[in-house]
Amino acid sequence: MTIAHSPSAPAMPPRRREGLLRRIVRHRADYLYVAPALLVMLLVIAYPIYDTIYLSFFNTPPNLALEDKIFIGLGNYQRILGLDSFHEATWNTLVWTVFSTLFAFVLGFGAALALNREFRGRGIMRGILLIPYVISAVAASYIWRWLYHSDFGVIGAISVAIGLTEKPINFLDSTDVVMASLIVVNVWKEFPFAMIMMLAGLQTVPDQLLRAAQVDGAGPWHRFWHITVPHLKGVTLVTVLLLLVANLNSFTIPWIMTGGGPAGASEIWITHIYQLAFGRIRFGLASAYSVILFIVMMGMGYFYVRALTRGDAK
Amino acid sequence: MKRRDPWRIGGAVFLAGLTIFALLPMAWMLITSLKTQFAALQYPPQWVPKNPTLEQYTLLLSPGNPVGREFLRYLFNSIWVSFASTVLGIVVAVPAAYAFSRFRFPGRNLLFYSVLLRNMFPAVVFLMPLFIMMRWLGLVNTQASLILTYLTFGLPLSIWLLKGFYDNIPVQLEQAARIDGASRFQAFILIVMPLSSPGIIATAIYSFIMAWNEYVYALTFINNAERLTLPVGLQRFFTEYATNWPGLMAASFIMSVPVVALFLVLQKYFVRALTEGAVKS
Repeated sequence: MTIAHSPSAPAMPPRRREGLLRRIVRHRADYLYVAPALLVMLLVIAYPIYDTIYLSFFNTPPNLALEDKIFIGLGNYQRILGLDSFHEATWNTLVWTVFSTLFAFVLGFGAALALNREFRGRGIMRGILLIPYVISAVAASYIWRWLYHSDFGVIGAISVAIGLTEKPINFLDSTDVVMASLIVVNVWKEFPFAMIMMLAGLQTVPDQLLRAAQVDGAGPWHRFWHITVPHLKGVTLVTVLLLLVANLNSFTIPWIMTGGGPAGASEIWITHIYQLAFGRIRFGLASAYSVILFIVMMGMGYFYVRALTRGDAK
Repeated sequence: MKRRDPWRIGGAVFLAGLTIFALLPMAWMLITSLKTQFAALQYPPQWVPKNPTLEQYTLLLSPGNPVGREFLRYLFNSIWVSFASTVLGIVVAVPAAYAFSRFRFPGRNLLFYSVLLRNMFPAVVFLMPLFIMMRWLGLVNTQASLILTYLTFGLPLSIWLLKGFYDNIPVQLEQAARIDGASRFQAFILIVMPLSSPGIIATAIYSFIMAWNEYVYALTFINNAERLTLPVGLQRFFTEYATNWPGLMAASFIMSVPVVALFLVLQKYFVRALTEGAVKS
């Protein structure tokens, strides 16, 4: 923000810092441009955050009137942290988030590397690979439910046809494999995002540098490891963070495909909160749960903003 | 020599495998949607439908029968909600992005980062308080509740994307216009707007697709079958009867067509919208 002192006028004595109020007044017209956006966001974002935190300290009756709520301090938090279902959901959330992110990133990065050179049909290939990301999660969930169908599912039929299994696998009704089945769907849905981000990152790696290294006798692995990888640090950080956030927040796929079942085996935080809030109408408890999630997200948000503003902060 | 490069061969094999993984589910959706219910429920499955039929599509798309009437209503609701929230979102985001890009008012950075942080908030955190607020405003069961919500949640990303586009338009162009006697507003409308139209298109597509695909708010705010959007409508619709898989697949296909078409036509902009900001060259 000190751009005003341009190097072309070094002789000027540094002006005394203008008071904040005065600067606000001088720039008052500028605020008109951002006012509509801020107003809507205040209404639909700031107020709800406040309300969630507020409600999290109350024991609410299981109806929507919310009038006879009782202040119980941190009672909701204590209750949640002691719940077995919370521990199970936390474990599932961890598995879901970490493995979805890992596989989506690895597949996406691999695809980006393979696409990062000129060949015929490259644009079409990229377009095709992006389609899973573009279609709605609802459609994707139904498609995969049908693929996984325990009697008529095509995946079960294929695995029998090629002799992998004796009879079709119960992908969504078995507590052992349900989480893995859901992660496959999620990875299918979001690897294109990692692909497109990493592809954009790869395109910023300077060609001359790679060619110079080749002239100097560096093999493909060395070029990749010593030139490409260091260049991709920033994009990788942003991509992984965005994937983590998206996975921590994903609702549609687990909700439509299993609703958290069977027996809570695929219950993650988000579906659990939704069930508490709109299934059992326990807004206080669900709010406290949301606040816990919120704190985790803010931690990630800190790194996200830092990663994005690297280089901006002068 | 080049032809034997094991890295290239490996890459090609990997890409081929990935393409099959990406396409197979969609191919099966399409194949199933062309079967009769009887043909779909066979084991082992008919890999290629023996008697392909478009009956599911004609059923869904003809307003003459109750199934089609209901489906077309959801479709229309989805178009309306996505369109309205996209247009309103652009109207609000354009001036804000422009201000963040050009002006140096106090609190600018703070405001901008708080706008960005919204990307971190889980939808569920907002669900309960927004539901309470919408009830209080009398907006539950109206599409206004969805339009308002989508508009807001699209805003941070829209502002971020548009700001990136404005940053790339040289200030000198506006200054030249100002010297020629244009007001700040005229310079904005006559110089900046036309130059930033690719950015606006990219942002609009992105918001439209997000709104079109949104599920959890629509699930929570709307209870009235008359006003449901497609993603939720699909679910209610098909669990009322025993699941009609070919019908469900046909409906999923119809729902995917607009976004995939928009995306394929405007792929360049969409990719730019996704990666803008994350990559600095």
